[in-house]
Amino acid sequence: MSAAPAIGKPADRLRPGWIHPGFRLIEGGHDLGWPELAAMPLPAGGAVVARRPSQVLAALAAAEVADRGLLLTRGGEAETAGWDPGRGFSVTLESSGTTGAPKRLRHDFDRLCGRLRGVEDSEARWLLTYEPATFAGLQVMLTAAAAGATLVAVPQDRTGAGAGGAIAGLVHAARVHAVTHISGTPSFWRAFLIALDGAELPLAAVTLGGEAVDQPLLDRLAERFPTARLRHIYASTEAGALFSVGDGRAGFPAAWLSEEGGGGPEGRADEDRPGLALRIAGGVLEVRSPRAALGTAGGADGWLSTGDLVERCGDRVLFAGRLGGLVNVGGVKVSPEAVERRLLAVEGVADAVVAAVPSPITGHLLTATIVPVPGADEPSLRAALRAATADLVPAARPRALTMAATIPLSAAGKKSRKGSA
Amino acid sequence: MTDTMLAMIAEELERIAVEKGERLPLLTPDSRFLDGDLPIDSLDLATLLVVLEQRTGKDPFRAGFRQFTTVGELAALYTAAA
Repeated sequence: MSAAPAIGKPADRLRPGWIHPGFRLIEGGHDLGWPELAAMPLPAGGAVVARRPSQVLAALAAAEVADRGLLLTRGGEAETAGWDPGRGFSVTLESSGTTGAPKRLRHDFDRLCGRLRGVEDSEARWLLTYEPATFAGLQVMLTAAAAGATLVAVPQDRTGAGAGGAIAGLVHAARVHAVTHISGTPSFWRAFLIALDGAELPLAAVTLGGEAVDQPLLDRLAERFPTARLRHIYASTEAGALFSVGDGRAGFPAAWLSEEGGGGPEGRADEDRPGLALRIAGGVLEVRSPRAALGTAGGADGWLSTGDLVERCGDRVLFAGRLGGLVNVGGVKVSPEAVERRLLAVEGVADAVVAAVPSPITGHLLTATIVPVPGADEPSLRAALRAATADLVPAARPRALTMAATIPLSAAGKKSRKGSA
Repeated sequence: MTDTMLAMIAEELERIAVEKGERLPLLTPDSRFLDGDLPIDSLDLATLLVVLEQRTGKDPFRAGFRQFTTVGELAALYTAAA
């Protein structure tokens, strides 16, 4: 892949239709509008390392003008090997990733924008809690841009969402700029509530997504921000944003399932997003969505597995974990089994089990129980175990390493490897 | 009782910080967890809660998230937990 050609003079660039003229981006100490974004020197298409929202928005605008594919990567070298840019303007995002290589999915930009409400709201002040070059981050940025709102972002020097300093920075920015709209993962919200303490915040909209939402958190948010519109969004990288639930209850109404007959084959999951259908097959939520990512058409009949296990409880469908044993740690999907295989490969380890335990802070946390070989030196074994997972994302590194004489056949209560929350 | 919890929290936070190569400032009941003052992040805080449950056999969060901001508030949750 050769270097992308630079676009012509910045002044030549017309403001894209999806950026409202009133849009402002407050990024660290900088207050940017479209003229400032247009002046940023970015390649038109190709692979772009985008850690800041200004880079993402400017790269999108440039790639659209050039009608070329754009690959947004979140760190390191922009590596284009194996990437198919497709024809014309599209956006490829890297998934938040398991313990393996990041998965890339190409999105049709019109479809990404298609689900935005496009309601002008110049008074809204959004806080960006997601990394910019992610599906969720893009949704927040495009929503604020289209509404002519203000987007407040806190550039992170180091990656790893949820770092204590990062949360403190977000709380500070939220208060200083009096943000009104915040969208974040349940893990973000738990940490945010802890860091915010009793401070006043005039929130009009509280949105959750990216992980299953628990009822106590929804109750706590409703109590803490009584005048805010509270909703949780269900989306998957493959199928796009699917629906939002605004009744303050975890899960979604069982009446939205196609077999309930509420909306016939089209379902009625979301009145303003026609064409979406939901069903449960083998305990797994399946969707048929016109907003599926390119190249993920699903089965012959159009149904796409979300990989999310669900349970019907009365009039509600509740999320019950990930198919295939993936667990969500602070918004990152990790595989306990894959981590366990690494620990088992460490010299001095006789046996190991990596378990996902429920956490009130990050949803889940990986812990490890290790059976050392006889005569093993514990401090050096611990160091070797840490080294064996040091290159994984922080969420995938097992915490609270316990040494034991044996691995229990079944861990007590909720502590099973598959996770149970 | 709360003093015992405070000492246990300080001990385990120290262990978590040392494993990361960080140094923990002097903890007081008013130390705030995710305020940027302590060298810990959400995953470290989640780790602390797992370890405290292992050591005390108590899980004040069994029914879901409960509000706490400071070391003292967390200690009180464990002291009050059955």
